[in-house]
Amino acid sequence: MLKSKTFLKKTRAGGVLKIVREHYLRDDIGCGAVGCTACGGAHEGPALEPQPQDPASSLCPQPHYLLPDTNVLLHQIDVLEDPAIRNVIVLQTVLQEVRNRSAPVYKRIRDVTNNQEKHFYTFTNEHHRETYVEQEQGENANDRNDRAIRVAAKWYNEHLKKMSTDNQLQVIFITNDRKNKEKAVEEGIPAFTCEEYVKSLTANPELIDRLACLSEEGNEIESGKIIFSEHLPLSKLQQGIKSGTYLQGTFRASRENYLEATVWIHGDNEENKEIILQGLKHLNRAIHEDIVAVELLPKSQWVAPSSVVLHDEGQNEDDVEKEEEREQMLKTAVSEKMLKPTGRVVGIIKRNWRPYCGMLSKSDIKESRRHLFTPADKRIPRIRIETRQASTLEGRRIIVAIDGWPRNSRYPNGHFVKNLGDVGEKETETEVLLLEHDVPHQPFSQAVLSFLPKMPWSITEKDMKNREDLRHLCICSVDPPGCTDIDDALHCRELENGNLEVGVHIADVSHFIRPGNALDQESARRGTTVYLCEKRIDMVPELLSSNLCSLKCDVDRLAFSCIWEMNHSAEILKTKFTKSVINSKASLTYAEAQLRIDSANMRDNITTSLRGLNKLAKILKKKRIEKGALTLSSPEVRFHMDSETHDPIDLQTKELRETNSMVEEFMLLANISVAKKIYEEFSEHALLRKHPAPPPSNYEILVKAARSRNLEIKTDTAKSLAESLDRAESPTFPYLNTLLRILATRCMMQAVYFCSGMDNDFHHYGLASPIYTHFTSPIRRYADVIVHRLLAVAIGADCTYPELTDKHKLADICKNLNYRHKMAQYAQRASVAFHTQLFFKSKGIVSEEAYILFVRKNAIVVLIPKYGLEGTVFFEEKDKPNPRLIYDDEIPSLKIEDTVFHVFDKVKVKIMLDSSNLQHQKIRMSLVEPQIPGISIPPDDISNMNLNGPQKKKMKFEK
Amino acid sequence: MASVALSEAEKVYIMHGVQEDLRVDGRGCEDYRCVEVETDVVSNTSGSARVKLGHTDILVGVKAEMGTPKLEKPNEGYLEFFVDCSANATPDFEGRGGDDLGTEIANTLYRIFNNKSSVDLKTLCISPREHCWVLYVDVLLLECDGNLFDAISIAVKAALFNTRIPRVRVLEDEEGSKDIELSDDPYDCIRLSVENVPCIVTLCKIGYRHVVDATLQEEACSLASLLVSVTSKGVVTCLRKVGKGSLDPESIFEMMETSKRVGKVLHASLQSVLHKEESLGPKRQKVGFLG
Repeated sequence: MLKSKTFLKKTRAGGVLKIVREHYLRDDIGCGAVGCTACGGAHEGPALEPQPQDPASSLCPQPHYLLPDTNVLLHQIDVLEDPAIRNVIVLQTVLQEVRNRSAPVYKRIRDVTNNQEKHFYTFTNEHHRETYVEQEQGENANDRNDRAIRVAAKWYNEHLKKMSTDNQLQVIFITNDRKNKEKAVEEGIPAFTCEEYVKSLTANPELIDRLACLSEEGNEIESGKIIFSEHLPLSKLQQGIKSGTYLQGTFRASRENYLEATVWIHGDNEENKEIILQGLKHLNRAIHEDIVAVELLPKSQWVAPSSVVLHDEGQNEDDVEKEEEREQMLKTAVSEKMLKPTGRVVGIIKRNWRPYCGMLSKSDIKESRRHLFTPADKRIPRIRIETRQASTLEGRRIIVAIDGWPRNSRYPNGHFVKNLGDVGEKETETEVLLLEHDVPHQPFSQAVLSFLPKMPWSITEKDMKNREDLRHLCICSVDPPGCTDIDDALHCRELENGNLEVGVHIADVSHFIRPGNALDQESARRGTTVYLCEKRIDMVPELLSSNLCSLKCDVDRLAFSCIWEMNHSAEILKTKFTKSVINSKASLTYAEAQLRIDSANMRDNITTSLRGLNKLAKILKKKRIEKGALTLSSPEVRFHMDSETHDPIDLQTKELRETNSMVEEFMLLANISVAKKIYEEFSEHALLRKHPAPPPSNYEILVKAARSRNLEIKTDTAKSLAESLDRAESPTFPYLNTLLRILATRCMMQAVYFCSGMDNDFHHYGLASPIYTHFTSPIRRYADVIVHRLLAVAIGADCTYPELTDKHKLADICKNLNYRHKMAQYAQRASVAFHTQLFFKSKGIVSEEAYILFVRKNAIVVLIPKYGLEGTVFFEEKDKPNPRLIYDDEIPSLKIEDTVFHVFDKVKVKIMLDSSNLQHQKIRMSLVEPQIPGISIPPDDISNMNLNGPQKKKMKFEK
Repeated sequence: MASVALSEAEKVYIMHGVQEDLRVDGRGCEDYRCVEVETDVVSNTSGSARVKLGHTDILVGVKAEMGTPKLEKPNEGYLEFFVDCSANATPDFEGRGGDDLGTEIANTLYRIFNNKSSVDLKTLCISPREHCWVLYVDVLLLECDGNLFDAISIAVKAALFNTRIPRVRVLEDEEGSKDIELSDDPYDCIRLSVENVPCIVTLCKIGYRHVVDATLQEEACSLASLLVSVTSKGVVTCLRKVGKGSLDPESIFEMMETSKRVGKVLHASLQSVLHKEESLGPKRQKVGFLG
């Protein structure tokens, strides 16, 4: 039967369109219950069980199916995902509404319906002749959908009765909408609210914790006073944004101060790019990453970013006055020019909530079911949840989702989702940091693995097409020890004409990962391999990363080669790109390679090749530095792991050898050569990498710090910066130069991938190269795979595909890659931090020399060169009288009692593991030298400090 | 215009018949042929109607679109007419063959609606000087069997009766910028009052008498005819003479009287048919082109 659906739509231009769609109604849609004769049976895919053996519900003892409405699906997805809930009918009406309202929930529900075990059935009620309803006069779209759901529920109940007379099967309608429920009961449909039903499942009491607590509008007024001002409705916000009274931006909470946040304004308007928000009321329930609308405050109320470090410690939620007191603390007299545009949140445009990892802070009141949850990410406020299993959850990492934030509540409300495991366990902590940094780390799916080459694999005739045989060349690879994903190898030989031939050979990953298939999509999504201290999260399956693509020695491997002819002063005479087959003669570590170069009596082919490379690399490096490339420094640490327990047993900063820079130099050269080639060939859609020059204000801190040591750092160009950094030496203080370089690194911008057709600034500031890309690590970076494909097309070795030359698609890929790279970096840092903690846990308390990196209002940030470890020494403690602190922002310096601290001052600190806060076990540092009475601690007196155990009594904040 | 070739004898036969108030198909001089009207036949228009008069077959679609009011009438919407003569009707309309006739009919329609009372154009105004509804009335001529103008005017009236214009609201914020909001109830719409929409009654002068609703054969016998647009109250809104012959004032006066009389009846029966159809609601089985 044919029906037509008619609806009106407003076009973007302001017109009104009448749209008519054909809509077919069928009478052969099955109910989904296996064995139902009326429907003809045969249902493909997941279906409902004929006799559901569900957990006994006290409300509904007979077997039943559930039929949730849209809001239940949207808000209570965590409950529905639980294995205890099975046999659920998902109506098409509901599914469509969910899809329109929340893509993530829609994806989750699709996953659940695809799971055979769950017995979820999608009923296409909109196309069923008996369950289709048309919108009636005076009925809005929502009412119609509600009615459609009720009609379907009613149909089901009648249908099931027809199945057999003695059948007790029922369909239970689950809705949280009071009116809808009343109507359903009137129509004879058994209906319950989600809460009622879940509570009736006596066998599964833990499900109650997962219920999202949604306060109804009506309840709000009676309980407690209102803390926050109301959020404006979306239509008002959009009008305001259009007219310019409000600004739209991404809310970024501060890690260091829970009362402060910045909003990054979207759009190209240069001024007011960043707006500061200060104080709980101005933050107005916005949560990190939300898209918000802000209103600028008048200039008289503008503030400067405070340099106070403040953590939300309050246990009791009613301490609003105290909060105000704290807010006052932020507002200190500052010079006029320090003031930044300040605003307040007037409304939320889009919430970006996700499930958060963290720990439970058990309520002080015994038997209380309401507890606060402290997320691991300090930018997320604490969340109030209701649970009966507080004692089992204590001391464990759990996941909690936010449900809402009423106006009268100091904290948002949420519900428990999942228990990850014990805190401090390596697996749990790794899981947490992967989840927190959104690193995809599930095992590769079967679909992805199906695109791997079949083993045993060998190079065939077909593979040799368009490929040069370079197996005779003396190629070797140089990598860090224990590296299994070798993606580059090198060779160098003298040609007959006296010139040198240098080759960089990169694993030919794009040969194995064909565009568009599941393997390609998965690696594009992962974007990069993530290296944690004890674990590697691969971008491509292991068969490729550690075997077929890895350029191991003494096996034939496919490669993408970049071969230059150079003269002895390292000038490139000819460049050639080709796909090739190579056979690496040796896999060396940096140390081994260095040893070969240095030992005079070694004269074999590999060694001469290495010596040639090393010689050229030195010249290349010199040239590069002359052009103004920066040599920056960041303290890098490596752990020596115990081979069995995988506990860190020693910690050392990374050593840099000549061979490191040799390999690096040729990789840079290859990347630059490839970048030029692909840009020449594809000026509109080359994937390149740029490093924007930082704005001059970024350097302020570096210049000030150097000035305090009577050194001058010029920052007008990269070259002058590099030169002035080179000149900044102090005979009495050899480490100063490294410190300055570390500081300079902090001033830099983030390098990013981009599509050449979408941008016109290609410059790479750090490398002082006009053009750059990534070509040399396709095993661990997806960007390189794209670059390989572009280059292969450019030299005619492979065919192109439509997406490759679509600059918008490329720009999307770049966006994802940049995000994944950033997140991978953060995850790596978090992993190092966690292992540092493990290390100090086993090591106990040590005193070490340190240098001051930054001076803050109430703390100093120090760097311990021995461990490459950075930490903060606080001078204000909750349970001690505050010392006299004078902070000077201009120098900058901090005067405590009579001692003045400047940047780069040498101090001695005691390092220990502070487990007083289980959630954030952290390395705690306290001052040993210089001695300040009452502040520093004597080197040997540590017995009276009770650090390794939760403090029994929470001291109240006093001022 | 579509026409048939008749022999002299045939013409005489018709003329003599008319003289005796007996036409070839048995009608009297003031009788219409059977009229079939169906509305809401094209679902993606705002209103539509199909009218069959003998073998004359007309389809009219009305489409409401937003536009800006005309400068001289800032608080009124307006109507646009377009007539398409399908080559299905007669091979003469092939290519650009039907354009002249189409323009002629469209111009006539403009003229009969060019008065304040026929349609209340003020209801079509959304916000003065800025937004108004423009009703595009598209006439499709599917088959010709004489008396085109009458059939078209009936179809236009029926289509306008059927027209549902979505109700919009103009939201104005403090700065004065305006935004248009569409009601989310599809049943919430404006209906036009067709009370005063005129219909054309064409009177063909055959011999000494005149007939209404002439067939193609009768039109071939006539030298001059008079188009009179009459409202349901019998008000004449427009008068036009077509054909190469001439009419003496007395017979014009006579013809106007006839048209008023006939027109009133025509309006009354059309109105009752439309209301009857309307009362069946959405459950009415549509006939469309399958009937």
